[in-house]
Amino acid sequence: MTFLIQQTLLYAVPLMIVALAGVFAERSGIINLALEGIMIFGAFVGVWFVQMMQEVDVFIIASRTGDWMTLQLLALAAMVVAAILGAVFSLLLSFASINLKADQTIGGTALNLLAPALVLFLVRMIANQNTLRMTTGDAASWFMIKKSTLGIDRNTDLGFLGETFLNKVYLATYLCVIIFIVLSIVLYKTRFGLRLRACGENPQAADSLGINVYHMRYAGTTISGALAGLGGFVYSLTTANCTANGDVAGFGFLALAVMIFGNWKPLNIAMASLLFGVFKCIAAAYTTLDINGDGVYMLAEIGISSNLYRMLPYLVTLVVLAFTSKKSRAPKAEGIPYDKGSR
Amino acid sequence: MKKTLALLLALVMVLSLFAGCGGKGKGEEVAGNPADAIADEMTSADGKYQIAFITDVGALKDQGFNEGTYNGVKLFANDNNKSYKYYQPANGDQATDGDRADAMKLACDNGAEVVVAAGFMQGNALIEAAQAYPDVKFIFIDGWPLATEDGTVLTNVAAIAFREEQAGYLAGYAAVMDGYTKLGFSGGGAGTNPACCRYGYGFVQGAEAAAAAKNVNVEVKYSWLYGGSFQASSELQTMASGWYQNGTEAIFACGGSMFASISAAAAAEDAKVIGVDVDQSSQSATVITSAMKGLAEATVWAISKNYDGTWSEIGGSLATLGATDKAVGLPTATWSLEGWTVEEYEALFADIVSGKVEIDDTTVEYPESTAHVTVVPVK
Repeated sequence: MTFLIQQTLLYAVPLMIVALAGVFAERSGIINLALEGIMIFGAFVGVWFVQMMQEVDVFIIASRTGDWMTLQLLALAAMVVAAILGAVFSLLLSFASINLKADQTIGGTALNLLAPALVLFLVRMIANQNTLRMTTGDAASWFMIKKSTLGIDRNTDLGFLGETFLNKVYLATYLCVIIFIVLSIVLYKTRFGLRLRACGENPQAADSLGINVYHMRYAGTTISGALAGLGGFVYSLTTANCTANGDVAGFGFLALAVMIFGNWKPLNIAMASLLFGVFKCIAAAYTTLDINGDGVYMLAEIGISSNLYRMLPYLVTLVVLAFTSKKSRAPKAEGIPYDKGSR
Repeated sequence: MKKTLALLLALVMVLSLFAGCGGKGKGEEVAGNPADAIADEMTSADGKYQIAFITDVGALKDQGFNEGTYNGVKLFANDNNKSYKYYQPANGDQATDGDRADAMKLACDNGAEVVVAAGFMQGNALIEAAQAYPDVKFIFIDGWPLATEDGTVLTNVAAIAFREEQAGYLAGYAAVMDGYTKLGFSGGGAGTNPACCRYGYGFVQGAEAAAAAKNVNVEVKYSWLYGGSFQASSELQTMASGWYQNGTEAIFACGGSMFASISAAAAAEDAKVIGVDVDQSSQSATVITSAMKGLAEATVWAISKNYDGTWSEIGGSLATLGATDKAVGLPTATWSLEGWTVEEYEALFADIVSGKVEIDDTTVEYPESTAHVTVVPVK
C-alpha cells in the first residue's frame, strides 16, 4: 500500500501541477496547448542547472557529508529556475496570441514542435549525447529524503503514515501539492483570481469595468508557463532520474486531458490525476503490488494479460472522458483573441 | 510593453546561444577510462574519416555497449593517427535495414577504410554495404559471418561474438556467493537480442551453480519488459522499485541505458545492481559488479588486423571471444563483493577456461527453473 501511494504520487503530482498550468491559461482566455513543450523545456533547464551545480564545491561536499538540507536547497533552486525559464518560454505564446492575435492552437503547436528540437540540440551541444544526465550520482541519492537522511535508523518502523510520507519521498512532491492548493485559492478567493476568470468568460465586460484584459491574459499564461516548467522538472527529477532528453512521455498532453476531464476545476483535476497515477503505477508494477499487505499479489494472480494492465491508464481516461465530457464547460472566451474594437 | 517583450525574447535567444558555447568542453572531460580523454568527434584535415562506427539502437554514450565499442575505435585511431567518426542510423530506435545501410554507405563515401558496426541488427544492412564497397573492411560486433544471396561468403566482413553466457555465469555465481538469494534480471531487446539472452541464461546457470554449492534456494525474477529500445523509462524505474520493495536484492541490468532507471530505483531502496558490458561501478554506488565483455579490446584487435596485413585471418569468419581470450569477466579491482574473494573468482575463471565448468550457450527467452533456482518470468 505504501508503495502504491508513493508511486502514484510520483506520477500524479507532475500531472496535477501541469493541468493546473492549463487551467490558469485557459481561465484567462488563452488555450495553452504548449504544456508539453514547456514541460520539456523546464525539465531540460532544471536538469542542466543541477548538472552545473554539481560541479560547485559546496554541493559536492554536501553530497559527500550527507548534508541533506543543502541538497534540498539545490533541488529547490533548480525548481525555481525551471519555473522562471518555463515562464519566459511561454512568453513566446503570449506574445503571439495576445499581441499579434495569432491562432492560439497553432501557436501552442509551434512551441510543442520547437521545444523538443531545441532541447535535443542543446543537450547534444552540452553533453555530446542524446540525454542530459547528472554529472555524478543519481536523483535518489542526491535528492530523495529517506529515513537515513533524516538520521533515523533504517530498521525503525515509522508506522504507516511515517513510512508513506516521510521515507523515500521528494521535497518537490510536497512543494507541488502546496503550490497547487495555494494557487487554487488564489484563483477562486482573490480579486486577482476573479478578474482572471472574468477575462476568460467575458473579456468585453471585464474591460468595461476597467480591467486590462491583455495584462490579465499575460499573467495567466505566464503563471501557466511557470507551473508547466516546474512540472516538467519535477517529472524528470522524480520519475526519470533527473535526466532530460527532449521527451516527457506525453505528460503535457495527458495534463490537457486531465484538465478537461477535471472540468477546469482544481479539486476535480487533483482527483483525475490521482486516478491516472494509480493506474499508471498498477500498469508498471502490478506484479509486485500487495494492496492489503497479506503477501498475496492478487493483480498478478488473477491471470489477466499484462497488456491489459498497461492499457488501463489510457483506457480509463478515455472512458471517463466519454462520460464526463457532456458536462464539461470550458471558459467561454478561450481561444478567441481579445480585440478591443469588437466590443 | 512590446519593447520589453522583444528584449526578453532576444535575451532568451542569446542565452540559449551561450548554453551551447558554455557546455561545449564538458563532454571531453577526463574520467577514469583512457578513452574518455579522446574526443568523440574529430575533424580531419582532408574531410575523410578512415575508421567509422555505426551505432546500435540506443544512445552513443550509453555507458555500455555502444560506448564500449566506440572506445575501441577511438583508442585505435588515437594510437595510430587515424581519423574516425561515428554515424547514428536515421530514425533512432525505429531504424530500418535501409537506414543502417545508408549510414554505412555514407561512412564509405566519407573515406572509411574500416567500418565497425555494433549490434546483431546490422546484419542485412552489412550484406548490402559490403557488396557495394568490396574494398572497405567491415567489423560486425555481436555478429556472424555474412554471405551474399548466392552463398558467397563476404570476406570483407569480420564477425566478432562474445561468450556472454560466461560473463553472465560469473556474475550470477558471484551474486549468490556474496549472499544474495533474491535476484532479478531485466534485459533489453524484448527477448530478441541473442547477446542479452545469453547473458541472462548464463546468469541463471551461474546462480544455480553457486546455490548448489552453498545449498540455498535462489529466486530470479526474469523480465524483458520496458527494454525494447534499451532506454531508461519511468515505467522501468517503477517496476524495479516494486521488485526491490518486495525483497529483490540485486538486479542484473542487462541493456544499455536501462541501467539508469534500475540504478535509480536501487539507490532509492538501498539495493544493488549488476552492470553489463563494461565496468559500470563508476556510474553508481549501487553496482556490486559488472558482467563485462571486452568490447574495446576486441574492436582494437579487429581494426589492427586491417592495418597489419592479417585481415584474412578474420575476414569472412567468426571470432568467438570468451574466457579463453580473456574477453569476458568481472572487474575484480572495482567490485564491492564481500562474500567472495578474487582468488575464488580466478579459480572459477580458470575452470571455465579449462572447460571444467561447462555453460550452455543456447539462446532462450525465459530459462527453466532449476534445482536451486526458481525463475519467475515477469511478462
